[in-house]
Amino acid sequence: MIEQSNRGWRISVDTGGTFTDVVVADANGRFTIGKAPTTPDRIFVGLRAALEAAARTLELDLAEVLKRADLFIYGTTRATNAIVTGNIAKTAFLTTHGFPDVLVLREGGKFNPHDFSRPFPKPYIPRRFTYEINERIDAQGQIVTPLDEAQALHVIGQLKSKAYEAIAVSFFWATANAKHETRIGELLSRELPNVPYTLSHELNPILREYRRGSSAAIDASLKPLMQAHLRDLQSDLRQEGYGGEILISTTIGGCLDIDTVIARPIHTVRSGPAMGPVAGRRYAELEGKTGSVLVVDTGGTTFDVSLVRDGAIAITQETWIGERFTGHMLGIPAVDARSVGSGGGSIAWLDEANLLHVGPQSAGANPGPACYGQGGKLPTVTDAALVLGYIDPDYFLGGRMQLDPSAAATAIATIAKPLGISSQEAAYSIFAVSNETMINAIKDITVSEGSDPSEAVLVAGGGAAGLNIVTIARELQCEAVLVPRTASVLSACGMQFSDIQAEQSATVPTRSDKFDRAAVNHTLDEIDNALKAFAGRLAERGFDQYVLSYRVDAHYAAQVWDIAVDLPAARIDSDGIEEALFEAFHAAHRRIFSVEDRASPIEFLNWTGRLSVRLPQAVITTSGGRSEKSQPSRNVWFDIAGADDAAIYRGDTIKVGQLIAGPAIIEEETTTLVLPRGTRATLTNNDSYFVELEV
Amino acid sequence: MDTKVKASSTTDISPMLLAVLANRFDGVVREMTNTMLRTGRSAVINSARDFSCGITTASNELFATAEGLPAHTYGLNLQTAAMCEFHDDIAEGDAYLHNDPYSGNSHPADHTLIAPVFWQGRHLFNVCAKAHQADIGNSLPSTYHATARDVYEEGALIFPAVRVQRNYQQNDDIIRMCQRRIRVPDFWYGDHLAMLGAVRNGEKRVHDIFKKYGAETVEQFVDEWFDYSEKRMRHAICALPAKTIVRQGFHDPMPPMMPDGIPVNVKLTIDPEAGVVEIDLTDNIDNMDNGLNLSESCSISNSVAGVFNCLPSDIPRNGGSYRCISMKLREGAAIGIPKFPHSCSVATTNLSDRLLNAVQSGLSDLGEGYGLAEGGLGMGPGFSVISGNDARHAGHAYVNQLILGNNGGPAGPECDGWLTYGLPVVAGLMYRDSLEISELTYPIRYREIRLEQDSMGAGRNRGAPGARVTYGPSHDPMTVVFAADGQVNPARGVRGGRSGNTGEMHMIDADGNATRAPSVGAIVLQAGSWLSGLELAGGGYGDPLEREPERVLEDVIERYVSENCARDIYGVVFSGSADDDSLNVDVGATAKQREQLRMVDVS
Repeated sequence: MIEQSNRGWRISVDTGGTFTDVVVADANGRFTIGKAPTTPDRIFVGLRAALEAAARTLELDLAEVLKRADLFIYGTTRATNAIVTGNIAKTAFLTTHGFPDVLVLREGGKFNPHDFSRPFPKPYIPRRFTYEINERIDAQGQIVTPLDEAQALHVIGQLKSKAYEAIAVSFFWATANAKHETRIGELLSRELPNVPYTLSHELNPILREYRRGSSAAIDASLKPLMQAHLRDLQSDLRQEGYGGEILISTTIGGCLDIDTVIARPIHTVRSGPAMGPVAGRRYAELEGKTGSVLVVDTGGTTFDVSLVRDGAIAITQETWIGERFTGHMLGIPAVDARSVGSGGGSIAWLDEANLLHVGPQSAGANPGPACYGQGGKLPTVTDAALVLGYIDPDYFLGGRMQLDPSAAATAIATIAKPLGISSQEAAYSIFAVSNETMINAIKDITVSEGSDPSEAVLVAGGGAAGLNIVTIARELQCEAVLVPRTASVLSACGMQFSDIQAEQSATVPTRSDKFDRAAVNHTLDEIDNALKAFAGRLAERGFDQYVLSYRVDAHYAAQVWDIAVDLPAARIDSDGIEEALFEAFHAAHRRIFSVEDRASPIEFLNWTGRLSVRLPQAVITTSGGRSEKSQPSRNVWFDIAGADDAAIYRGDTIKVGQLIAGPAIIEEETTTLVLPRGTRATLTNNDSYFVELEV
Repeated sequence: MDTKVKASSTTDISPMLLAVLANRFDGVVREMTNTMLRTGRSAVINSARDFSCGITTASNELFATAEGLPAHTYGLNLQTAAMCEFHDDIAEGDAYLHNDPYSGNSHPADHTLIAPVFWQGRHLFNVCAKAHQADIGNSLPSTYHATARDVYEEGALIFPAVRVQRNYQQNDDIIRMCQRRIRVPDFWYGDHLAMLGAVRNGEKRVHDIFKKYGAETVEQFVDEWFDYSEKRMRHAICALPAKTIVRQGFHDPMPPMMPDGIPVNVKLTIDPEAGVVEIDLTDNIDNMDNGLNLSESCSISNSVAGVFNCLPSDIPRNGGSYRCISMKLREGAAIGIPKFPHSCSVATTNLSDRLLNAVQSGLSDLGEGYGLAEGGLGMGPGFSVISGNDARHAGHAYVNQLILGNNGGPAGPECDGWLTYGLPVVAGLMYRDSLEISELTYPIRYREIRLEQDSMGAGRNRGAPGARVTYGPSHDPMTVVFAADGQVNPARGVRGGRSGNTGEMHMIDADGNATRAPSVGAIVLQAGSWLSGLELAGGGYGDPLEREPERVLEDVIERYVSENCARDIYGVVFSGSADDDSLNVDVGATAKQREQLRMVDVS
């Protein structure tokens, strides 16, 4: 069990594309939420507004809140947005001679064989910004063509005259022999001392030229931007009088100090979705659920799903920014948070043969669903929720937004009429079809991790999650559903539970039938050295307790897709440990693919060390049952066959331990929990609704 | 308030259930696909994704294919039909191995595993996994034996729906036979296990659907889903103009037998009133004494794929939409139904690519906005099969097909060609090998992979460029087997679009002397020597003089198109220079240049 203490207050901030969420945890672990619109031009304006909103709820002024806090954890979508919009530094890409099109060609693949209506995506770095360097190293690390320094200097001269703002270097087999990349780094430091650069073997020493090159390109291209962004944040916070530690949340669901992040800004990409499972894991753990946990986060347009298994958050090497195949691959390990375009704003439509589809088009926030009355006419999932009685039009977002039921009905009728069904049936069908997208996403992640959703607890976050999550969990036969009352700010909550984490990788190909213990242990030593240097810097700031853990990516001989296996010990220094490692691989393969092949040698490739500094964990206290007001019941469609008379509860009237049996609806200010007949919810000590699915 | 309000209507399958069940069956195929991808051993499966999964009904109609390769999946129904014809005791727990091109398979290298799915004692579906094998025991170390005069010279082990499992127990005889005959037997067996895992997984998932919805509902759903698919297809065909189109394509000469090339003849009759497209392939030459003959499955699937390429891409591909296509095939034709023992070793690529191109480019005769140009093709160096012994691993034998070919995609009415297109039959679906993984796994060294400037067919929309690919052995000699096409006949443009480049292949010795390689054959490369080839670009769509000058500018800046080509072919003239980022369209000079080029065209 984790040590629980709150030395001082802590503040976590998640700046999303639309809203900035703030969570302030006081000395007793009570969470206070603040929200304000994000201000992209000067992020601190919106951030301060959100902080002030939380301060108001606490009946304190902002300066006092900042004074009491000693930890500030910041998450931002800035890097992700920069990649998506292409709003990045002018970046040059240096590659091995003969292979200028690594970033253009990617790894191939396409979804639909018959779709010729979509142009091929542009590379992350334009071809004209790509430069070939005369050098070549082979798979064994031998130099085939020595680095042509004269030619390299000529290229660097061009980089200077063309005023590049960042440079990415990714040579073939730099993972086996870093000499050429290192030398280019020295030349760049000398010739272009003010231009930041990224060397692929330093950032991300993995095999596969596209992934490594892509990660180097993305990292370099973010450096000028993120450096300015984080330095601004730091000085703004100091100016407001904050004197505590500032940490930045990262792609693997941890956090890092500002200096480290500025040197490798790629680690901030998709840190928001990475924090969802950190929160979900903690909420589940507090309820004593430590097996499989599925964590979903539903916004207006996207649905993120991630998986925690035996306390470990699933990590993937294949994260696409944008769509798979046509986006850009991040290339570094990241929390496996799969996003699908589905949410309250998803639009329902009929094709010419009257098959019902929902999405991928979304009405977004503007014009939004028809019931928002902002000019949207198309039927959305939110409109369907209104027609089914899930949402009270007078109590949307705690009554801050009035919904228009007749506009929703008109919109839904455009689906109901052609199908010859009632508007409630149409609305229910829209929900069911929209659920399918989410069910697919959940199945995909559990299948590829060899987990079974029926053995998992589903933790639901995001404003829209409560509408359909119980139905989805029943469809997947999950064990139970957990909806934290702070569900609408899941990522910011996750930061409250995150640790300082840093990773270091290296490539050492070796096989189980001729396992090169010396090389592996030597590499683990080098990984340790790098991590301990980092730990030394942290120790100067008072974070002096750390844990090291290790994993390796491995596959059966001739497979090419890896499974990550935790090392049974810090070094592979005995036959027993070696054997335990091989066993761990067989077991993982069997778990994921239901088969193992003991006759086949295992190939080991990328070795990764992780340093974790446990931060004191926030405890959670609940504040239920402040009010006694009861609500009239209403007709709600939980089933396509007909409506039920459902009890309606306002969140602030519910007491800890109180049982609420479906059919019922719990209305919180920022989320609504729909409980069909046969399910029931309890408000737990840890400020979550625990939903049992088969009562 | 009363607690139950009755719904207004109920039908057999509600609109909701139709959408939900369609998704569930697609999910089954996706899960099977994922299993194969992640557990396959040979690079053609786990890197290149040269495999497909699908479901047919027990009445042998194609039912669900998800993301499969058209060339693989559109014939699965023929294979399950063969299984039903050959066996009258099909039972739960069976699995059948099928790779017989004379009874429904694409070509012998595509091993297919079929498991019948039973529910409550009734045979209702078949789940299928089809994968291109690294080796199948041919007389040459290649799964494409272009010069085989018949199936005997080809040498493949042929399995006409042979039962390999009964009661979920493996018949080890068959496994041992394969292991004795197939090179790299451990790869083969690993892939076999991956396929088995996929079909058993699929069977389990179909059972889940039966468990939840019951057989009656599922069977009703199947009928309605076919009807829905037919409706979508018919609707799309009804929107086409009525026309009969005759189109001819040519595969490169195959001396000594086919010195003038191999003609591919297609007659398409579009009947929008009936909502039917007829594809007539009867006017083709007789079976040849080589490995290029098409199987029945390839003749059908690539014709059908050519039609689907020109229709809305979300029409389900299954027995329902198939009702709107009528095929005319001739027995004993090279493009049609093969006569045993003519070899179909190379059926899935060369003539299939030409056939698919002929259909999709033929449809452009319907008018502006219809059809596609021809796609880049040819199994040059980027698709060759390499083999030899790996000095790094105690001389262990290796054989594998490379998948890094970058033939460019065809231009269409809406946009330029897809860059990582590969071949018409794979349409960009396959993954490309990582060169580093390839160099780690095989004793090969790459020297160059570079997109070729000005190679693509120009047009209002242009084809995607082809690549120059150069590699050689890193240690001991390496055998390279290839069956290239496109060294004489390029991918043609349509509606005024230009053809792409023609391909070429050279062997370069240690001193740098280049000799032209044959377009079909096997060569042995010594350490220090290289094979270098230029792959094919896609054809263009529409008149290049109508391409927006800004798009031509972008192509020049990004070095896909040279300034000369921009001026001479696209009629776009620039001011400034790309070197100092000042390149810009000279509007006046461009108008004049285009006018002049149009006059030349007319005269």
